[in-house]
Amino acid sequence: MAPFSSTRPNPMIPVGGRYVIDRTVSMLYEAGINSMKLVVGHRPQMLTKHLSPEHPTGMAIHFIDQGKQNGIGKAMLKARDQFSPGEHFVLVYADTLTASNIISVILQSFSLHNEPTAAICLTRSGEKYGNVYLGKDMKITKIIEKPKLKAGLGNYVLAGVFVLPEAFFGFLEKSKGNMEAALKHLIKKQSLRASIWGDDWLDMAYPWDILKANQMVMDQWKEAAIHQSVELSNTKIKGPVRICEGADIRAGAVLEGPAYIGPGSFIGHNVLLRPYTSVGANSVIGHGAELKNCVIFPETVVGRLSFIGDSVVGEGVDIGAGTMTINRTIDKKEVKIKEGRTLVRAGLNKLGAFIGDGAVIGASNILDAGSMVQAGKKIPHNCSYPAKR
Amino acid sequence: MCGIAGIASLEDISERLVGSIRNLEYRGYDSCGIALVNGSKAIRVSKNIGTVDEVGAKENFSKLKGSLGIAHARWATHGKVTKANAHPHTSCGKGFSITHNGIISNYTNIKAGLLKLGHKFSSETDTEVIVHLVEEYYKKLKSVEQAFVSALRDLDGSFAIALVTKHEPGRIYCARFESPLLIGLGDDANYIGSDFSAFIQHTKSAVFLEDGEYSIVTHDSHCIKRISTGETVSRPVQELKWDPEMAQKGGFPHYMLKEIYEQPQIVQNALDIDRKLIRGFAKIALEKSRLYITGVGTTFYVAQLGQYYFSQYAGLTPMVISSDEFRFLAQVDKNCAVLALSQSGETYDTLTALRHAKSMKATTAAIVNVMGSSMARMVDHLILQQSGPEICVISTKAALSQMIILARVVLEVGVMNKRITLKQAKTFEKEIGQLPGAIEKILNEKSGFIHSIAKTHSKIRHWLFLGRGRYYPVARESALKMKEVAYVHAEGMPSGFLKHGTIALIDDRLNSVIFTPPEEEKQLYELTLSSAEEIKARGGYLLGITFKSRSKEPLPFTDQIVLPEAPPFIAPFLEMVVAQLLSYFTATTLKRNIDRPRSLAKSVTVA
Repeated sequence: MAPFSSTRPNPMIPVGGRYVIDRTVSMLYEAGINSMKLVVGHRPQMLTKHLSPEHPTGMAIHFIDQGKQNGIGKAMLKARDQFSPGEHFVLVYADTLTASNIISVILQSFSLHNEPTAAICLTRSGEKYGNVYLGKDMKITKIIEKPKLKAGLGNYVLAGVFVLPEAFFGFLEKSKGNMEAALKHLIKKQSLRASIWGDDWLDMAYPWDILKANQMVMDQWKEAAIHQSVELSNTKIKGPVRICEGADIRAGAVLEGPAYIGPGSFIGHNVLLRPYTSVGANSVIGHGAELKNCVIFPETVVGRLSFIGDSVVGEGVDIGAGTMTINRTIDKKEVKIKEGRTLVRAGLNKLGAFIGDGAVIGASNILDAGSMVQAGKKIPHNCSYPAKR
Repeated sequence: MCGIAGIASLEDISERLVGSIRNLEYRGYDSCGIALVNGSKAIRVSKNIGTVDEVGAKENFSKLKGSLGIAHARWATHGKVTKANAHPHTSCGKGFSITHNGIISNYTNIKAGLLKLGHKFSSETDTEVIVHLVEEYYKKLKSVEQAFVSALRDLDGSFAIALVTKHEPGRIYCARFESPLLIGLGDDANYIGSDFSAFIQHTKSAVFLEDGEYSIVTHDSHCIKRISTGETVSRPVQELKWDPEMAQKGGFPHYMLKEIYEQPQIVQNALDIDRKLIRGFAKIALEKSRLYITGVGTTFYVAQLGQYYFSQYAGLTPMVISSDEFRFLAQVDKNCAVLALSQSGETYDTLTALRHAKSMKATTAAIVNVMGSSMARMVDHLILQQSGPEICVISTKAALSQMIILARVVLEVGVMNKRITLKQAKTFEKEIGQLPGAIEKILNEKSGFIHSIAKTHSKIRHWLFLGRGRYYPVARESALKMKEVAYVHAEGMPSGFLKHGTIALIDDRLNSVIFTPPEEEKQLYELTLSSAEEIKARGGYLLGITFKSRSKEPLPFTDQIVLPEAPPFIAPFLEMVVAQLLSYFTATTLKRNIDRPRSLAKSVTVA
């Protein structure tokens, strides 16, 4: 998740105007759960600060510090003393995202048999996950690690949402905190039933997954919603555009939904927002800028006459005027991203820039397709006078 | 599968109780019934065959009154669909009434004992023994609870039971072992049900019974105890936002997928059908001078596949006519046998064809899923397919089951006809026996890949589904699935047809699927591949559904779904399962209304 992971945990990434963690908490709450334990590891204070003292849903949240980050299983073991024998609990991986409420679905499946249940789903990148085998009555018989999808294999994968018995901690302990091994124990000793998730599902692993997540959320929007405090004059709105309290929209703006404009943000004259754009709270989009399929985190400035497309811009970023992101290769082929020495295929033909929190980009810069700007990095203005020496 | 429900209140609950079983109809709808308790007067039982609304009309459900009662929606698997066999069942002295979901495996022993003691049975069901057993214990123990628990301890098998009695008119006794049961806690009433769709409209608070537990439910209380020890169990009340339909789908997002996944079991059920029944029909088919097979929509393609099997393995080519065209084409007389195929047994066009055949004195037969349906009642020879209720409008498991039954008939005819030896027939039957495992393997290993192909091509609006020989009807049936559920135009045709016109359509906006036989069927295999080459040469996208082959030569497909090696006899069925998934995933990608596609109804009962 570089360049964002250096400054924030995945659940603190905003999609469709809300942090991933807030979506998870609401989903749990709507499914009838009112108390949760949140094991925090990476940048824990960001989550504790955001969720304290009280979550708007009223969910009681108990924080547990993981300390050293050493995997899901060990993180779970830290929460062991919070549960009593005989109890069942819902386990949710905080960086998975679904189009609708997966928690109520799994709870309903669970209630049919009162047996441990795992949500499973299909993904186009099944080769990255543990694939399950289903026997009679939806019982998972085995888990195959990362099969070769290219060879025509592949099945439902674990979706990162489970209903498990307290006794599962015993299996975790036995397997020294190895989640996969513990699940295999559970399958062998008790049983694990599957609940098939048929709607969209996303595991946020790469920065471009933020764009996919944003699209997934916005695809659920059916209508526009504009806060009564917002004044519009000579603004063209098409499709489901959500404008929050105190947003200042100047004349001539064209807003094509689905799009999100956060509270207190400023949209300058003649700005063009194209579909799947999300502008975070208190951000400023300068005059005549064009934004397309991008997520702008809160408190960020996009200078006038810039183009930001198929990109993600972190929090508190300052983008100088006239900055262009390039969102495709010259031969219109798949964009590949450099990660250390390897090239990662994003599977997308259009991909812009990923700019970490607090970066400053001078005016008149051009960012190549798939470029990564580290958090806090300063890129000077691209001046033509006085001439560079 | 059956559904049970019950309500305890101080108000009149008869209407709510009828609503409960209506919501449980997905678990069975061949007969239903209600038992209402009115103080210490005799229990009033109303039951009959048919859906809840049909029985309601016959038995005047709307006139019933009572503040406590139990109800049942039945799906017969072994006993006949008769009024007597419908639940609830009542004891000799009319003091106890019971509904049950499950199978009591030791009921013959219990029944023998009870008969000796003078109990009179009015049904053929295993359920009835329970109520007589409770009555017997009550005579000795004088306590309903003691009698109920003693009876439960005598039972082997699986059960979810609800019992009412005039001796304690304010209580419902219920118990579960390996069949689902839960209690709903409402403001003015408490409920029980096979799942929460029984009472979801009235309360969202529920308590779950676990295996080996029983409960006594009154209008304002409930307690849970262990059957074996009698000790009280405390169980928290759960407050959850249920979607009743979700419960019925049992962990699957759609009935269609659920029913696709039920196919391994359904094949087994089709194999378990009594050989005598299959042979009986085979004899008729052979004795008569002409055999017609008729069906419409999916069942027409099932019939067509049957025709190929008959020809190839039994040396007989029956005439296959779509039932809506039957009257205009078939020359029927008393020397004919007409076999009709229908899931519901109520398909108007097929019923009309059968009536026509009957009026011409032909011998009639049918393969149907719903016991007691019009077709089941009218034919001379009936084969019930035992596929369980099929809820999704699109037929998957019921169609496969009919194919297997037809294949079994073919083998019998083939042996009688000396076209195949008994040994060969046994081998083929064994091969059918491999189907459940092979289907499970496809579902477990290919779903992800098929999903990925469906997603990539979901924007394609036109498909050709091609096959030769036995794979041709499979192609047509698969094309129909694509049309029905994904609203995507698909045309099924013999691949030999291509060069006689259709090939002009091939371009980048038309995709093709080709159903390829295993390499062992050499001639068919090579002919199929030559059609594939024709598409490839014109730059069309071609998805090959094929089996693992030994030759290393690259196949002319753009994408291929390679299935593990399978004997030719069962190969077409396996490819059909792949196509079911392809249609399903295309439809889910396009966000179609999977279980109730637009303009379609489960059972077409109009002309």
